[in-house]
Amino acid sequence: MAFEYEFAAILIIVLIVLAFGLSFSIGANDETCAPLAAAGTLKFKIVLIIGGAAIAFGTIFFSEGVASLVGQKILGPGIKYTVFMLLAVLISAIIWLIIGSRAGIPLSSTHSLIGSIFGVVIVYAMFSGGIDPETAFNWEKLGGVVLSWFLSPLLGLVGTYLLYKIIDKLYLSKKKGLNEIEKSEKNFAWALVLAIIFAELWVGANSAEALGILYALYSNGDLTIIGYYFYVVICALLAFLGLFIAGRYVIKNLASQLTDARPSDGFIIQLSSAIILMFCTVIFSVPVSHSHVIVFCIIGMNMAKKKEVDYGKLGKMFIFWVLTFPMAAILAGLIYFGFISFGIV
Amino acid sequence: MIDLDKKKSKKKMSIDDLTQMFMDVINDQNLKLIEGIEFLIKEDFDNFKKNLEYVIETQTELEVKKAFEEKIFKSKLIFSKADRLKVFSKINDIKAIGEFLANKMLLYKVVFPDDDFKLQIELILKYLKQISIDLADAVKSIGSDLTRAHDICENIKEERRKMRNIEWQLLMRLWNYDMDYLSRTFLYLKELIEGIMMLADHMKKFAEYIQFLATKYFYFK
Repeated sequence: MAFEYEFAAILIIVLIVLAFGLSFSIGANDETCAPLAAAGTLKFKIVLIIGGAAIAFGTIFFSEGVASLVGQKILGPGIKYTVFMLLAVLISAIIWLIIGSRAGIPLSSTHSLIGSIFGVVIVYAMFSGGIDPETAFNWEKLGGVVLSWFLSPLLGLVGTYLLYKIIDKLYLSKKKGLNEIEKSEKNFAWALVLAIIFAELWVGANSAEALGILYALYSNGDLTIIGYYFYVVICALLAFLGLFIAGRYVIKNLASQLTDARPSDGFIIQLSSAIILMFCTVIFSVPVSHSHVIVFCIIGMNMAKKKEVDYGKLGKMFIFWVLTFPMAAILAGLIYFGFISFGIV
Repeated sequence: MIDLDKKKSKKKMSIDDLTQMFMDVINDQNLKLIEGIEFLIKEDFDNFKKNLEYVIETQTELEVKKAFEEKIFKSKLIFSKADRLKVFSKINDIKAIGEFLANKMLLYKVVFPDDDFKLQIELILKYLKQISIDLADAVKSIGSDLTRAHDICENIKEERRKMRNIEWQLLMRLWNYDMDYLSRTFLYLKELIEGIMMLADHMKKFAEYIQFLATKYFYFK
């Protein structure tokens, strides 16, 4: 009995450490600040501090809705996560992300996490929990999450397209010479600072991977409310450090490719994606993929500018996007089934 | 002639002002070079020498160049910085080609074979002069009106096309003269035509680059 209790406690610590690792990786992989670094308005260190602080602020103050959805509300009545379920979810999500990285496809950690939860919960309901799989989920919430994955990129595309067209019609197209364009871009470079802070805030708030795990631990009684918020603050600090220590390389690399990019383009893209993330986080409390939204915002911008869109590459990306949910679900289900088969659970 | 002293402090001038000033200085030297060759046609060798030496010895542009370089590397306009720098270096290349041509032309004092040859050389020089003036105008328009800069560059390309036709006629004429193909006159005239065309070619490529910039920064409706 004492051994089982200690084992469970160790697993909880492992889950918290993994949640910390995920928080760090959210900051480390966040390239939102790249256009700001490329614009050269602020010193690089200041850019990192601003971006990291905004992520941390968003994580602490606006993440609860999304975290509670992932950590509790997505499940059906009478079902709660166990530490083994959460462990299987994390292992599967991490494996699928590694596969994505090896294939060079920017996969969504949100999609792989929700997919993994789906697989684990279904296996739990069928083989371990004695629950009807049909009642294992709050299908309305899950449906809302999946629907938001399709709608958020589309809204990103349409929003960016329209925002660009409006700004172009009213302001940009009136700039005839390079001096005027440079002057207006200088102003946009400052507006970009605000847009990036706004975007980072919602990136932090919507990144539910780590906080969803912590909320699940809180909702099944493994963490107290004070413990939960304490770890949320730690996660926020780690996201800040992730961006400041490791994210700088991603940002620097991307920024070096964006030196020709106009701050006005960056402003429009970041503002559109931030508004969508804000709506998803505050109003609907659904976790969406920031990278998917950004990619579609960029496509929207290219379409508005009548630039070519690489549909071949996009098609390959789309296949991986669609595959992420079922593959992560199958993988997580198999891992959890392995736990059951070996009598670990 | 450009009076550089009129501008008291180049440090206070913008990148665009410095580029325009640099272009004016180089255009002024181009016009001197062209005028020098016109003196050569008229066999006014003193003025020919004077003009070409002016092109070689004038270093006023160095001051502008220095002020520009100090400014551009500190500039925070990263998105257009590289292009501004390239425009400046392309203007600088005109000076280099002009100086190279002037040095070459000073090696010998040629007497032109006949009036028709003189007339055609004068004609390509007329086009070259127009290209140089247009290019200066196009460079000045980059900052204020990219559509205008684009259109001027289209004219430059047209003028350069006309020059090419005359170049073939001149070469045809030159190769059909009854003269020794290793003679100094033949070689000098061949070098003169090629030198003028080299300068025109560079300015045409520069015009194309300005058009590239116009399409990059301005969305033509």
